[in-house]
Amino acid sequence: MLFGIEWDTSSDLAFAISILPILLRGLIVTVQATALGFVIAIVLGLILALLRMVPLKIVSWPTAIFLEFVRDTPLLVQLFFLYFVLPEYGIVLPAFLTGAIALGLQYSGYTAEVYRAGIEAIPRGQWEASIALNMPAWLLFRDVIIPQAFPRIVPALGNYLVSMLKDTAILSAVTVLEMLHVGRIIGDRTFRYFIPLTMVGGLYLVLTLLSSLAVRFTENKLPKDGIPLR
Amino acid sequence: MNRKIRNMIASTLALALIGSLAFAQADLTEIQESGSIRIATANEIPYGWIDENGDARGIGPDVAEAVLANMGVTDIDWTVTEFGSLIPGLIADRFDMVAASQAVLPARCEQVDFSIINSSYGEGLLVEAGNPQDIHGYEDFVDNSNLTMGIVSGADQLDFAQAYGLRQNQIVSIPSNTDALSAVATGRVDAYAATGLTVGRLALNSEDVEAAEPFTDPVVDGEPVRSFGAFTLNADSDEFREAFNEELGAFQETQEYRDILLSHGLTEQDIDAALAVTTEELCSGEG
Amino acid sequence: MEQLLNLLPPLLEGTWVTIQLALASTVLGGILSFAAGIGKLSRNFFVRAISVAYIEIFRGTSLLVQMFWLFFALPLMGISLSPVLAGILALSLNIGAYGAEVVRGAINSVTQGQYEAAVALNFSKRYTLWHVILPQALVEMMPPFGNLVVQNLKDTALVSLITLADLTFRAQNLRNLTLDSVPIYSLTLVIYFVLALIFMSGMRWLERVIAFRVGVAQGRARA
Repeated sequence: MLFGIEWDTSSDLAFAISILPILLRGLIVTVQATALGFVIAIVLGLILALLRMVPLKIVSWPTAIFLEFVRDTPLLVQLFFLYFVLPEYGIVLPAFLTGAIALGLQYSGYTAEVYRAGIEAIPRGQWEASIALNMPAWLLFRDVIIPQAFPRIVPALGNYLVSMLKDTAILSAVTVLEMLHVGRIIGDRTFRYFIPLTMVGGLYLVLTLLSSLAVRFTENKLPKDGIPLR
Repeated sequence: MNRKIRNMIASTLALALIGSLAFAQADLTEIQESGSIRIATANEIPYGWIDENGDARGIGPDVAEAVLANMGVTDIDWTVTEFGSLIPGLIADRFDMVAASQAVLPARCEQVDFSIINSSYGEGLLVEAGNPQDIHGYEDFVDNSNLTMGIVSGADQLDFAQAYGLRQNQIVSIPSNTDALSAVATGRVDAYAATGLTVGRLALNSEDVEAAEPFTDPVVDGEPVRSFGAFTLNADSDEFREAFNEELGAFQETQEYRDILLSHGLTEQDIDAALAVTTEELCSGEG
Repeated sequence: MEQLLNLLPPLLEGTWVTIQLALASTVLGGILSFAAGIGKLSRNFFVRAISVAYIEIFRGTSLLVQMFWLFFALPLMGISLSPVLAGILALSLNIGAYGAEVVRGAINSVTQGQYEAAVALNFSKRYTLWHVILPQALVEMMPPFGNLVVQNLKDTALVSLITLADLTFRAQNLRNLTLDSVPIYSLTLVIYFVLALIFMSGMRWLERVIAFRVGVAQGRARA
């Protein structure tokens, strides 16, 4: 039994039906981890992207190296790092939070790239016009750059959201009870791995499909040339 | 695509697939002729572990090596894997035998076979030094539902915890015994549930943790839990199992056997209890 | 410092395993990418169906789920793959599915004029694909392939979860023995970073070589 729900090993079909609610509990954790990780990724990515654009080399270079480092090293090792190293400095975060932060950190490497590409795609003329108009930087970003960069950024960010959904499975390595871990525990207790793992795979397909559709929907809702100003 | 290349790839894949199909299970004649065998253990001191030099030690490995030497098998290929993967690995013929003193349980007997009983042990809980939560047994988790218990995936402590009615959010499934120490020391779990010996040995490794004392064994179905460990074998290796059991039985009558178990922390009572129970009794649910 | 030097030998053993895994799965994944990418463009319904199914399944599910499935579920169907085979197979199948989309996109990007010229010159379908389209598509594919190669390298770390003794597995073992997380994980991350940089420059070199060679091939096709 898991989460108070017993499984029924009398037949394959009964087994599959009985573990579905258990797997769905894991699915909730999967979705929660993705949501939190994604928020961290888009916020942290924006901060890092902006830092990288700062004219001071002493700020932009370490940021660039940090971003490259985070992008090119495995998520699993970053996760283990956060999970085992932080406690040695007195910071003991619950496993779920550690996992979400690891996801957010790794994906901030990607989102920072997305922001950079989106901002660089904006025609030079826009920047020059703002200088001619004596616009302060914050106003430039808020009313000119970001509204135009937004529609280009959203699809790319959406793809990373779907990608992160699949990466949450790695959190099972640090005790987080997401979908794959739940499926694995069921297998460890009943010695029947085929049905749980296949169902987990199927659930991931469904999740991926749904989130892809959601991203596509949001994409279509956004005006192609940029969000109109108030 | 070019037909030649396509055929090449197809045949390579086919060969690879055939080459990896499950072989015949642990075959007695094969093992005796080659003098080599594949054994798995789960890195849990003192039942079976790999030390810094890469040698397998513990109750399971030491006894297995002695018994197999008497059978003329001296080349042992040791694999270390997670506890939860021991039985699946056996079923998948990744190794011939498991030497981890796994408890003989009816659910396990349905999937695999066990040798004659080799060891017996009680339970324990590993807690933070000073036992800040004042934990002395499974009942404390029932009384205080904020307490969390770490359990290795696949271990039978999960059954005890569920028998006591612990809620799922009180149970943290950790991948292996070696992660348990840091889990308790950093406060990620309030206690780690494992056998008494395991807990005792872990406590020796760090000042940040200790074995919960005094400790009352969990009571399941009216009886305090006592587990009996044996060597695990694939269900189809009957011939090998019988030969192994014969040698093991003979070995258990020697003083060398007792010395090995005593050196790993078992008491004379533990040893006598182990020798008094049969595998069949445990598999059918009595004993 | 001496402590770090003590950690190196086991980590480097694991690094060698990681490199072998990465190379094997990149090659096999590359083959699968071409097979499925071209297959998806095929006229034959079954070939297309299989390619699409393969691509959607392996892009739509998590790599770790695929790996666990091959390692835990497949034996129950009678096929017991060793950890090495399961790991390489999972990695290859996964990266192959992503690569297939790159291949398909690159082939689609070759201008219509090339196909028309090939027809005019009476080239067979197979000759056209092999000698005209693919070389040009190959140049398009290299940059995204470079990203996929690095992604695959990072993915190899997951095989440590099916007991393969790669770099991450060794790091975990060391930590269990010495409880010394900081130097172990820092060193591990640095080694992966260095490997990634090496693989990336390798791919960039390959990009240049292919662009050069394709130039030559185009010349031959014209003559």
